[in-house]
Amino acid sequence: CEKELIQTPISNGSVPDFYKTAADFDQAMTAVYSQLRGYPDREVILSELRSDNIYGISDIGSRDWDPINNFAASLLPINPYVADAWASDFSTIFRANTLLDQLATNGGVTGSLRTRYEGEAKFIRAFMYLDLVRKFGKVPVIDKALIPQDVAQIPRSEVTKVYDLIISDLQTAIANLPTTYTAANVGRPTQYAAKGMLALVYLTRSGPTYGINGPGLASKEYDKALPLLNDVINSAKFSVLPSYPNVFSYTNEDNAEVVFDIQYIANGSIGGSFVNVVIPDAYYTLSGIPFAAGSVGIKPCSTDLITNAYATTDTRKAFTIQPGYTYAGITETRSFYKKYLNPTGRGVSRTDWPINYIVMRYADILMMKAECILNGAGGTPADAAALLTPMRTRAAQPALTTLDVNSLLAERRREFAGENLRWYDLMRSGRVLDVMNAWVLTDDVNGKITRPITPNLLLYPVPQVELSSAPGLYDQNPGY
Amino acid sequence: HVTSPRAVAEWPLTGRITSPTGEGLPGVTVVLKGTTRGTTSGPDGSFTLAAPETAGTLVFSFVGYQTQERKFSGPEKFAIKMVDDAKSLDDVVVVGYGTQKRADVTGAIASFDAKKLEERPIARVDQALVGQLAGVQVKQTSGVPGRAFSIQVRGAGSISAGNEPLYVIDGFPLETAAANGGGRFSSGNPLDNINPNDIENIEVLKDAAAAAIYGSRAANGVVLITTKRGRTGKAIISINSFAGISKAAKQLDLLNGDEWAAKATEIINNNWVKSGTGRTASQTTAERQRILGLTGNAVNPDLILDDRWALPGHPGLTYIDWQKELFRSALSQNYQVSASGATDNVNYYVSGNYTNQDGIAIGLGYKRYSARANVEVKASDKLKFGLTLTPTFSIATDAGIEGKDSRLHQILSETPIAEDSAGINTAYGKNEAYRWGVSTASPISVIKAYQGDTRTFRTLGTVFAELQPVLGLRLRSTLNFDNSDVTSKSYQPPTRNLATSLASGSYSAFRRQTFVNENTATYSKVIGKNDFSALAGFSYNFAKLDNVALAATGGFINNTVTTLNAATNISGTGSNYTTESQSVLLSYFGRLQYAFDGRYLLSASVRRDASSRFGFENQAGIFPALSAGWRISQEAFMLPLTAVSDLKLRASLGYSGNNTIGDYSSIATLGFANYAFGGTAGTQVTGQAPNKVGNSELKWERNRTVDFGVDVGFLKNRITASADYYTKTSQDLLLNVPVLTASGFGTNLVNIGEVQNRGWELEATSRNLEGAFSWTTSFNLSHNQNEVKHLGPGDATIEVPNGLDTPSNILRVGLPIYSIFVVKQTGILTQADIDNKVALFGSETAGDAKYEDANGDGKIDSNDRQVVGNPTPKYTWGVTNTLRYKGFDLSFLIQGQNGGSIYSTLGRAIDRTSVGYKENALGRVRDRWESADNPGNGVKGKATGSFGFIRNTDWLYSSDYYRVRTITVGYDLGLLINKRVAQGARVYVTAENFFGHDKYYGGLNPDAVNTSNTGTFVSGTDYGGLPLSKTLILGLNLTF
Repeated sequence: CEKELIQTPISNGSVPDFYKTAADFDQAMTAVYSQLRGYPDREVILSELRSDNIYGISDIGSRDWDPINNFAASLLPINPYVADAWASDFSTIFRANTLLDQLATNGGVTGSLRTRYEGEAKFIRAFMYLDLVRKFGKVPVIDKALIPQDVAQIPRSEVTKVYDLIISDLQTAIANLPTTYTAANVGRPTQYAAKGMLALVYLTRSGPTYGINGPGLASKEYDKALPLLNDVINSAKFSVLPSYPNVFSYTNEDNAEVVFDIQYIANGSIGGSFVNVVIPDAYYTLSGIPFAAGSVGIKPCSTDLITNAYATTDTRKAFTIQPGYTYAGITETRSFYKKYLNPTGRGVSRTDWPINYIVMRYADILMMKAECILNGAGGTPADAAALLTPMRTRAAQPALTTLDVNSLLAERRREFAGENLRWYDLMRSGRVLDVMNAWVLTDDVNGKITRPITPNLLLYPVPQVELSSAPGLYDQNPGY
Repeated sequence: HVTSPRAVAEWPLTGRITSPTGEGLPGVTVVLKGTTRGTTSGPDGSFTLAAPETAGTLVFSFVGYQTQERKFSGPEKFAIKMVDDAKSLDDVVVVGYGTQKRADVTGAIASFDAKKLEERPIARVDQALVGQLAGVQVKQTSGVPGRAFSIQVRGAGSISAGNEPLYVIDGFPLETAAANGGGRFSSGNPLDNINPNDIENIEVLKDAAAAAIYGSRAANGVVLITTKRGRTGKAIISINSFAGISKAAKQLDLLNGDEWAAKATEIINNNWVKSGTGRTASQTTAERQRILGLTGNAVNPDLILDDRWALPGHPGLTYIDWQKELFRSALSQNYQVSASGATDNVNYYVSGNYTNQDGIAIGLGYKRYSARANVEVKASDKLKFGLTLTPTFSIATDAGIEGKDSRLHQILSETPIAEDSAGINTAYGKNEAYRWGVSTASPISVIKAYQGDTRTFRTLGTVFAELQPVLGLRLRSTLNFDNSDVTSKSYQPPTRNLATSLASGSYSAFRRQTFVNENTATYSKVIGKNDFSALAGFSYNFAKLDNVALAATGGFINNTVTTLNAATNISGTGSNYTTESQSVLLSYFGRLQYAFDGRYLLSASVRRDASSRFGFENQAGIFPALSAGWRISQEAFMLPLTAVSDLKLRASLGYSGNNTIGDYSSIATLGFANYAFGGTAGTQVTGQAPNKVGNSELKWERNRTVDFGVDVGFLKNRITASADYYTKTSQDLLLNVPVLTASGFGTNLVNIGEVQNRGWELEATSRNLEGAFSWTTSFNLSHNQNEVKHLGPGDATIEVPNGLDTPSNILRVGLPIYSIFVVKQTGILTQADIDNKVALFGSETAGDAKYEDANGDGKIDSNDRQVVGNPTPKYTWGVTNTLRYKGFDLSFLIQGQNGGSIYSTLGRAIDRTSVGYKENALGRVRDRWESADNPGNGVKGKATGSFGFIRNTDWLYSSDYYRVRTITVGYDLGLLINKRVAQGARVYVTAENFFGHDKYYGGLNPDAVNTSNTGTFVSGTDYGGLPLSKTLILGLNLTF
């Protein structure tokens, strides 16, 4: 009878029996990617909604995203989106750390696959730490799978220490990852994705500090970013597609413009839900979609984006933005993003969209290179302007002959509207406070934003739940 | 030698049996002990019986009276006066693994005589315990018929492992189950399908001294249920049936159509005026459409009024009272037939029961068919066998009425106006939603179209053998098996006649199996004045749970086939799976009881439980208990004090455990974490990652209970009372301690923390009047104080997440568990307040709610939350009165609670600030602030407020209530019916929940729990729970 006291789970695997075979490691690697699936939804709220691209007015009562949109600092430490961003990023990091630890100690997988797994895990770990440092500034640096008691001994590290790990991880990724994947492996990061990501890291570090412990170090590392971007460009693996809609086509995923994306398929369980976040229910019905959007109301594009950003001839606007609609006698006059929406491509529920989420595309690589040039990494404004020509041409816009930081920012806003890059672009440009405060004056017709946007509001607070879990270990960001 | 039966000489035995008041008592069973020979008394109480010419004993028995025995040794005439069957000290009390004389009990045990249950319209055993026992708090958390209640013995000691007691039916310990935060027992409750009509009595072991013999499962108390047995004498066939009508005991006061329209007009006009310069409330619909550039019948309902509201008779619109559409008069019926009897060799009780309760709301119903056979056979003087078999089947229908975003919540929020063309079918079928109304598909139509039910087939079986090899020693072995097969099916057709509206359906099932083998040896011996009794035992307990679920939301081929073979798509592992889990518990236990001269009582027990659920470093726990009693009334010096018939002091100390951990909680398991690779042609790839932190030290929660009690009886026990004072300290709590998410996890299950419950209980019974008119009162009152003593590392306060917004319940050292922690509302803001710069929440203006700036920082935010109440009532009480006069009897139970609070998510949904005009609101909004000159009653702020909302005392309610749970009036038809037709007959009328009052104006049932807080905390909230049923039934009891 006593033997029966040892019971192992029937319907779950358990850690002691895992990380033995190559198949185990394959599954452990997949689990790291799996945790990325919630990333785009958070970016819509914490990046795009925070920026001047969306002016979100909650239709029904008050919603959790209100303080993100209206900069009410007092509500943010307990905000679920903020808490989820911190927790989910670290959960992904934990999975990557677990895999890296097991790769180092168990012989279940060897050779080139082992090398690649290390590169993939480190790429994702760096990607998550970049997200953390951009949102929260200082965060604890954890590069091993630790039990909770040990994690409770690790305080927030200086931003430079976080970057040290990010850069070292991406350098390993560049060394370890292949240049392309075939068939069933498409979607994993290539060494070019790692180079693009590392270039973005250098650009982010190069941004101004605003006097806060933020992502910007004013480090002027444009010269470090430029060769990485040139490598990507010179690889000839990527190109700007002739058709803008085709970049986001449900039937053309992982096309030549995609440098790195998060993958979804519609099968009822691993589809994406970020498509829903900004779209009102009635528009779903109008489009013949048989389920509610569950967006809890519309999150409309800001007047500034709709009226000022695009030339009337710019074909990107009509693809990106839906200008209101009338359904059942009720007219919705506000506009919203529909870039990723293709009603006929839906899965079985509102959280089951098959469209991949593009984290970085080739247009971004070209524009980041332009950014390097404009910031003194070599080349002329005309060289920088020329890099934008493929994107402008396909948007039916004339090529530019010259370029400055402001016009690059404006072009990025048009090109990447709805792709959740705007907030980071503004931060990096040094113009975020000017742009946002000017925008509040013109766009905040409901008077929701009751105070000026100050440097402290450029970072999110450390979630209250983290502060409470280990009192005294983490300091709160100033202003919260 | 041949004798004819006629030739046997017989002694005539005659006599008259009277009630305690001296009237002739008809229908009393008179049996010659050890035979089946017997009769019943006639209308005047007289009887005649012939007995063989040998000395013997007559047994007189009748329901409601104590059974009496009289010896005879020749022809005799008896005068028998029956005595009311009040609890007597010679009564035997069922304790764990045995029985004990009530006089000798040293633990805290509450007893409930369940005989009257058959006259109440209740579907479950737990329902019967409401208000009956001191220290046992029974909450009806749901109004869905057949749904389990929540039972708490002496307060909640556990934060996350459940607070439900262990149930033991006729010695068979059923698998414990903890309710989830939503108040549901998702894989069955031990009392599911148990027929209350079969119950003889219920004992609740409250302190550890009484309960510790059940070791690691006893921390929340043990409920011992004893079912009916046959009694020596003629077979009794009993029929009980009742039928009646149930209605909702309460409805909410909501705005009617006109009141809603007035409020909507105020808000829409305000929106319009604010939406642009030059816009005034007096502008007509046509003017507004022109300004907005809207053509035809296009409107923006947020800015434009429906002109029909103001027209006489509001043509084209239907005004609807949605609650009236939901609630109905429902039929309740119950039929029970039983046969029982006993001879020297066989004792049997068999019964069949059919219960049917329609719900007070459409879409709810419960039917149960059950049977029971309790049979014991004495093979010889030394050997006894027994078999108990209880097959049951029930069908519960619930169209999803209770809980967040479920139909009742929608009904309460539903716009009370719809287009005439749609009526109550608004936003359903071909009908669009009313433009100014919520877009919810008509909840009434949804309920009516729903198809599905939950079917539970459960069988409990026990076989036992008992051997008495030498006098005083009994060896008993039992095999017990409990098998539940529960299947649930649901089908919801499309709500709209649109291609975009799809049917959904699901099928889920679970099988719960428990096998228990227990072997005990009991030895009792009396040496002079010393009375010893010893028990030793071994138990093996195996429990297994299998789950299966299938679901489809992607539509069905048509509306006629509602099973999933006709679903368009049932793929996806999130909602389609089978899982299994199992656990093993091995136990050794023993108990010693010693009494000296009936005055000094001592009892000691110990149990060792080893469980597969515990981490391998802590696989077994030992749970000892010790108790002592002193029957002062037996001392010589007390004999002159004749008024005191009984006086006993009790003291006990014991340890018990709570093992409701889940089967594999100590193991770091892997969860699925899938992904797709491959771009457009991507396919699913399986991933696995750790989904929790392993903890090889994980073990039971440990409870230490100290109890001091006194039992006292006066005037030959005409008045009896018990009082207890206890301290129950729950340590090593199973707590999902929030950990830094940098560890990869949000929580970690560890044994940490301590909660203490202190309290006292009082139970008293008094036979106030005896005689032709008799009156008995039973009374119980309990007070419990709960305090968190320790929490996770550093005793950090835990804010319980609710999945909606700011946490409003906290766990903090020094406070009761789940204390309510919100911002305090103090009134309505005036312009003067704003000019004086009082603290504001967001963009508040005059007429909005005023909040207390608890931290004094000049602004209102979540840092201004303060403790404003706690969910546990301070006092719970119940009073039962029974009155008899001639053939009539009347009994009624009043029960209630005081001193607790409700923080209601339903209140948040329907009564918060800044709620839009579309949803309906509570009637208290009528007295809202409308202007500085018309400030209302100072409680509700203006309807046009748009500053958002924060968790505050707006939806905090007192949970005080009192309720007349049951009133029964019965009449004994024995006088009117010929004995040859029936030996006994009784008609009765019972009114259940007819009167009462509560202070929960933001919801329908103060005890309702139907929506879980998130995380792993077993705390929940009301998000639209049904009211209780008030039921009036007429019943008939016949005995043959």
